[in-house]
This record gives sequence, C-alpha cells and structure tokens, in this order.
Amino acid sequence: MDLTLSDEQKMIVDMVRRFVREQIVPLEDKLDPDADELPPEDLQRLSKITQDMGLYGLDTPPEYGGPDIDLVTRALISFEMSQHRAGLYAPCYGAFGGARQAQLFEATEEQKEKYLYPMLRGEKKVFFGLSEPSGGSDPARAIQTRAVRDGDEWVINGSKLWISGADRADYGLVFARTDPSKGRGGVTCFIVETNWPGFHVRRVVHTLRSSRYATELQFENLRVPHANILGEEGGGFSIANDRLTRQRIPYAGECVGVAIKAHEMAVEYAKIRETFGAPLASRQGIQWMLVENEIDIRTARWLVLEAASKADNGEPFRTESAFAKLVAAEASFRVVDRSMQIHGALGVAKDLPLERWFREMRIRRIGEGPSEVQKHVIARDILGQSLR
Amino acid sequence: MKVLVPVKRVIDYNVKIRVKPDGSGVETQNVKMSMNPFDEISIEEAVRMKEKGVAEEVIAVSMGPQQCQETLRTALAMGADRGIHVKTDDVLEPLAVAKMLKAIAEKEQPQMIIVGKQAIDDDCNQTGQMTAALLGWSQATFASVIELGEGTAKVTREIDGGLETVDIKLPAVVTSDLRLNEPRYASLPNIMKAKKKPIEEMDPASLGVDTTPRVKTLKVSEPPKRQGGVKVESVQELVSKLVNEAKVI
Ligand SMILES: Cc1cc2nc3c(=O)[nH]c(=O)nc-3n(C[C@H](O)[C@H](O)[C@H](O)COP(=O)(O)OP(=O)(O)OC[C@H]3O[C@@H](n4cnc5c(N)ncnc54)[C@H](O)[C@@H]3O)c2cc1C
Repeated sequence: MDLTLSDEQKMIVDMVRRFVREQIVPLEDKLDPDADELPPEDLQRLSKITQDMGLYGLDTPPEYGGPDIDLVTRALISFEMSQHRAGLYAPCYGAFGGARQAQLFEATEEQKEKYLYPMLRGEKKVFFGLSEPSGGSDPARAIQTRAVRDGDEWVINGSKLWISGADRADYGLVFARTDPSKGRGGVTCFIVETNWPGFHVRRVVHTLRSSRYATELQFENLRVPHANILGEEGGGFSIANDRLTRQRIPYAGECVGVAIKAHEMAVEYAKIRETFGAPLASRQGIQWMLVENEIDIRTARWLVLEAASKADNGEPFRTESAFAKLVAAEASFRVVDRSMQIHGALGVAKDLPLERWFREMRIRRIGEGPSEVQKHVIARDILGQSLR
Repeated sequence: MKVLVPVKRVIDYNVKIRVKPDGSGVETQNVKMSMNPFDEISIEEAVRMKEKGVAEEVIAVSMGPQQCQETLRTALAMGADRGIHVKTDDVLEPLAVAKMLKAIAEKEQPQMIIVGKQAIDDDCNQTGQMTAALLGWSQATFASVIELGEGTAKVTREIDGGLETVDIKLPAVVTSDLRLNEPRYASLPNIMKAKKKPIEEMDPASLGVDTTPRVKTLKVSEPPKRQGGVKVESVQELVSKLVNEAKVI
C-alpha cells in the first residue's frame, strides 16, 4: 500500500497551510474571539486569492467550475484549513467558497439557475431544514411537518428546530411529510424562500456555540409552488446520498486538523512550562497525554484518508465514511480536551483558540449524524455481513 | 533574455530549530523543509519579468540531495520553465555553490542571475557576491526594485542609511531583499503543469567543481537564554544601572 503523498499533493497542502498562516491567522488575531465572519472586503480579497490558487469552490464538482481534485486531496486540504480559531465553525471563514447544500446539484435546470448558481457564487445563503423538535437522528420517522397539495401548490404546516443560520438565509431546503402512510418514502424536500408568507423564524436557540445561533422555524400555511419540489415527490431521502456521504469526509478531516494544531500547541507548551522545578514535558503523566494525543490523531487521520481513498477508487465507502466521522469527532475532542488540560487556566482563556475548538468539537459529536448514529450504520454493516 | 534563479532547500521558517545533542549541527530529521524565502522572492521577480515579456525563460537550479526536486517543483509551480538539479549529498559551502553556478551560467548564458540575499539556514550572504566575482559580472545586492533597460538594469538597493540606486550592465548578478515583491501562492493548474516541466540532473563532478568544505565546524550550540528585562522607575535609576550594572556608559 502506498501511503506517501504525491509531490502535487504536498504542494497543495503547503499552499493551503501558508494561506491559513499568512492570511487567516493574522486577520483573526484582530477579530473578536467569537467572530463568525470576516468584514466583507476581507472576505472578498481572500476569495480572490483562493480563486487565483484555483481552489475556490472546494466542494463544487469540476463540471460546475470547482477544482478538479480527488477526495484524498480534498481531505488533506481539510486537515489544513481548519487550523485557526474559527476553523471548526467556518474553515477559513468561507474564503474557499461554499457548496453546503449538496442536494441542490440534483435540482432541475430551472431550479439550478434560481437556487444553485447564486449559492455557488456566494451571493445567497441557504439553510438546511431537516431536524424537528421530535428528533433528528431518525428523521424518516420523526418528521411531523406536513405538506398537503392544493392545485399547483403545496401548503406546509409544522416546525423545525436547530436549523443553522435560517435567520440570515435567503432560502433553504425543508423536508416535510407528503404521505403519512409511508415512512421514509413519504418525505419530500421543498425549496422554500424565507420571505414567503407563512415562513417564521420563531426564535434563535442559543447553544454553546457562541457565534451563529441555531433557529426554530415555524410554517403556517406556507404555500410552495409544486415546481419547488427538489427531486421526486416522496424522494426526500434519496437525493444526493452519495454527495452527502462524501461531504462527511472533509467534515471529519476538519476535526483532525484542529486536533493536530491543539496537539502542536500542547507539545510546545509542555516544553516551556515549568512546575515543581521542571518542565511539564519531563513528567510521565504529561508525556502519556501527548502520546494519547498522537495515537488519536494518527488513527483519525488514517480513517479519514481510507474513506476518501475508497471513494476515489469507486469502492463502497459508506461504512468507512461513518468510521471517519465517528472516530475523527470523538478522538479530536479528546485531543483538544487533553491539550486544554496541559495549558491549565490558559487552556480555557479566550486568549487561545482552544476553548472555542473545545465547544465546536463538542457539537461535532452531534452534528452531521451523531456518534451513535454512525455506530448504528457501522453495526448494520457488521451484522449484515456473511461469512467469508 | 534568460534568467537563472538558484533555489535552496532549507528548514521551514516556522520550525523551531533544535541543536543535535552531540553538537555536530542542527536536527533535520523529520523536520519540514521549504524553499528559502528569499529564493521565492527571486523566482517571483523572474516570473514577473517573464509575464511582462522582458524575459523569455526562467531556469531554477537547486543543489543538494534528491529531495531538492521538491523545491524545484515548487519553483516550477510558481512559473519557472525548467529546472536543473545538481545532485549531491555533500555539504555545500557558498564558494562551491558559486563555482557551480558559474559553470551553469557559462553553459546557459543567462542575462541575469537572481540570488536570494541570504539563506535562512546559515545566513551566509555570500553566494551572490562570489558568483558575480567568479564570472566577472556586475552585481547589485539587496535589491528592492529591479528595472530592466537595454542591456542594463537600474537596481534600488536597501542600505543602512536608506535607498541607493545603481545602474549595472548585463549580464549581472542581483540579490533579492525582502521588499522586492510579495511572492504569489502556487495554483492548482500550475502545480499540475509543473509535473510535466523538465528537470535536468547533473552532479558537481560534471561541472568540474570540487565541493570539499574549507571550513570546519567545531561545535554548534544553542544561543544563551535571554535574561528577563527590568522596569526602571526613573531616569536616575536607568543611568545608574547603565553605569554600574551594564557598564556601557
Ligand atoms: C449547533 C447545531 C446546529 C444544527 N444545525 C442543523 C441544521 O442546520 N439543520 C438540521 O436539520 N439540523 C441541525 N442540527 C440538528 C442535528 O442534526 C441533530 O441535533 C442531530 O441529528 C440529533 O438529533 P436530536 O438532537 O433530535 O437527537 P435525538 O435524535 O433525539 O437523539 C438523542 C441522542 O440519542 C442518540 N441516539 C439516537 N438513536 C440512537 C440509537 N439507536 N441508539 C443509541 N443512541 C441513539 C443520539 O445520538 C443522540 O445522542 C443542529 C444541531 C446543533 C447542535
């Protein structure tokens, strides 16, 4: 098995690492520690640089103008681009462009013109409305929001919870039950504009993420044109599954990136901080924490790359991507926690990025499918296997 | 015209340098290496000359072990046209590098060699000057602006008192200072193109250069730890400390 990076991959990694160190970190030092965006003129300037690098629109397929890189290279980039304070909340503050709602690539030509391209150009913000008060792990059963057909329109009633950024979005995807007699097959995805009558942001839900808040949405006789169904009626859960599974890999990679940086900081600090007459690094208790960090990072990094490499080779990678997400989130959380401990009070101070990483890492064990749901996916695969 | 740019593989500027326990040198095992930052500036300058249409070809040359090819690829990804790798595991001192550059310059006939004013590993600041002397070419060191004329160049130099402008005849050796330009990031399309650009391999013997070191390293050691500073309450106290403790006045 060849585990070495190609010269090209090394150069790409170097380029992104330098970009983060030279452009993002110095800029971030001047921002509030909980800042969730850059001043627009800075974002514009940085996006120009990533365009010149040929890396703008990292998650946009090449046929839509994104860079032509494989998923392993994308994962390597994700290890680098989260290595700054807001790196888990928004890697490089979105300077590499966004294609968050992968489902929109499966839209009709007309829908793409109206909703996909403006998002890719960074002109419009889009939310993703799946989770409800009734639960997010098993949305196929939990979804209670109802859509009822009325001529050329659908009338939606119900609510959504934890929806990121819906208060600032222009439109978004809303999953609603169109056929109560069916489970998975009774849920349809609608593209909904936030200024339509009947669309309400009821409240901003404060979480331990101090920056952008999650929202609670309510729909009251919200009328949506039939043409705004994304994919098939009843096919809400079968849109873009492959793309969504792919997205989980850089998501996991960003966790690993932060773990790498936190560990680096812990190693440096352990060497210079002295207690009881000797540096922390001379204590076995601390050395073992650093070793555990290293084990966690290497394991997670490897699982992320394995999932990416399977996807690149056209092999099934659903289980691998579940492993990558599960282990990267759990292991990187432990790394940040240990690194914080080694820093003492400084670890929890807003002078360092550790405390923000700690809070964001905690959320990453729940977002993009909580750890237990990833285990559920893996368990199904294990139990479904036959004898070799 | 052709521009020749030597690029050196050095320990990355972000790495904390550690002295080997036996004092024979610094730790380079498992340490990230990059192109010398001043050489990046030189490459950038040469590529800009090419983009302006005043240079036709930019040749990057690196001397050292196999891994120097990575440094050359970076130069190619920034826009150099081809690379020359003088492959050797020998320790190379500035004079040996200058002699090899001379041999390559005689073969390639560039109108200008842009050398980094120094490399951030040994900080010698000698190679450019030695190369010019060996070739008998004009030289302009510590350049912050290079303007090309007909067979001449006007170079603004950063000196202690301010700026100095010199007119030189080509061919010439120019050494680049920090403010000459801000090197660009590589780009994905150029990285892919760099893969196909040629790198010619040679060795010191084929250039007729004996690389045997003339300097012997006795011992490498860490700089002494800095003492913490003190705050003084008054001018009297400051003067008294300068007289009695620091003994500088
Ligand atoms: C900051 C933030 C932003 C979010 N943004 C969005 C968004 O933009 N859009 C959106 O749609 N959702 C969003 N979510 C919601 C998120 O996707 C859900 O919280 C997640 O899917 C879990 O759903 P739940 O909270 O309802 O937990 P539940 O489904 O109620 O599960 C509760 C717990 O039980 C565990 N569990 C579930 N099933 C099993 C099982 N079979 N065995 C063992 N344990 C199990 C879960 O892992 C979880 O720990 C966001 C959440 C947060 C915190």
